[in-house]
Amino acid sequence: MPTPELIPIRFALNGRTVEARVPPGMTLLELVRREFRLTAAKEGCGKGECGACTLLLNDQPVNSCLKLAATLRPSDRVVTLEGLADDPLMQTLQKSYVAEGAVQCGFCIPGMVMSSYHLLRIHPQPTAEQIKEFHSGNICRCTGYAKIEQAVAKAAVKAAATRAPTRDPGQAAASKKKEAR
Amino acid sequence: MDNLARVHFPASLPEAADILRTRPGARLIAGGTDLLVKHRNGLLPDVTDFVDVSGLGLHEITLTEGQVRIGSACTMTAVAGHPLVRERFPALVQGTLQVGAFQIRNAATLGGNVGNASPAGDSIPPLLSLDAAALLFGPAGRRTVPLAEFFNGPGKTVLQPGELIEAFLLPDRRTAGAFLKLGERRAHAISKVSLALSCWESAHGRHEVRIALGAVAPTVIRCRKAEELLSAAPWPPATDLVAKARALVVETARPIDDLRSEKNYRRRMTGVLFGRALERVLV
Repeated sequence: MPTPELIPIRFALNGRTVEARVPPGMTLLELVRREFRLTAAKEGCGKGECGACTLLLNDQPVNSCLKLAATLRPSDRVVTLEGLADDPLMQTLQKSYVAEGAVQCGFCIPGMVMSSYHLLRIHPQPTAEQIKEFHSGNICRCTGYAKIEQAVAKAAVKAAATRAPTRDPGQAAASKKKEAR
Repeated sequence: MDNLARVHFPASLPEAADILRTRPGARLIAGGTDLLVKHRNGLLPDVTDFVDVSGLGLHEITLTEGQVRIGSACTMTAVAGHPLVRERFPALVQGTLQVGAFQIRNAATLGGNVGNASPAGDSIPPLLSLDAAALLFGPAGRRTVPLAEFFNGPGKTVLQPGELIEAFLLPDRRTAGAFLKLGERRAHAISKVSLALSCWESAHGRHEVRIALGAVAPTVIRCRKAEELLSAAPWPPATDLVAKARALVVETARPIDDLRSEKNYRRRMTGVLFGRALERVLV
């Protein structure tokens, strides 16, 4: 077997420029968990079906278990759940999940709330259908979907009432463009 | 099990073609949503090199010389959301929005879905129904292949060593259309049967009709007899003609029994999906 080369990469992680040297087959999930010790995102299925590894790449949710770390570019912006710890919208979502009893075993939740966050960024007042659609790539094997949907719906109401401004590490310009669309 | 040793980042199409031609273990990687699953499960023992397509400028969707040109590295999300596509090709919008789930569609590309050549690829029937052609780039230069002639079997295409899909070319016209898929659930399910129907006005009172079926043959297939019948008759088609076309569509399907469904069910549902698609288009 040939010795794999290490590939130097640079990208923005939670608003900060970072560098790493990665083996060719390393995934973004392995990179954030092992190299940067950001362990909120989990590997559930490793096939892009369960969504437990969901991260935001350039404002879009992706399965980080299927993103090759070596292909990250300096212009790429990766946001993990840790990067949203102080974000008012994420905090509203997290409180709502807890209040509604939407968290059971908890394994799916770090990915689930990333999808919830993305939904409320794009559709601050989502329909029931949109809530289902935006979480369709996240599987909860405790099957607690009804409470998760309630939690997201209530978080949307709460966020609207408090007009929680959202902090967005290093991507204000890009998200403004999206909202204009 | 893992022989992956290098990732290449070509900055031009000739460079990419050259790597693919000279390194037999090299495979293109775009979204990675299919390739990395295979790689991580040890199903690509002969792959030594990945060739990243993201530096090749294949992300554009443009309108030129009577054709909508969709770069092969466009994601499903990008295709489904683009005004040039939304205004013209409803079947393609619906097809790309039924690939995988949200996170997959943000990474998976049209070129990847077509290049994988799965008979169940959900973007393929819509492309066939829209008379799409693949623009290929290879060591011998460029060539254009109608997508209906692109597939040789499951996972098999006419791509030659060193060749890659640069873009898809779709005739510029406003179409009506639908893509319907039967799966175990709405997100993530691999199609048991899928059907795309597109049509456009060809003359006063006439519509040119295209119908393509997924997951009921070794490749995605067109239903040419049904297309000809509907295209030659006054539009909207009379009830008895619809029944005849439906029978022709069902006849075209050559499904198999496998873990996802059964032959007879697939064949029957082909007719059901045709009826539903036509209803949608006629509304």
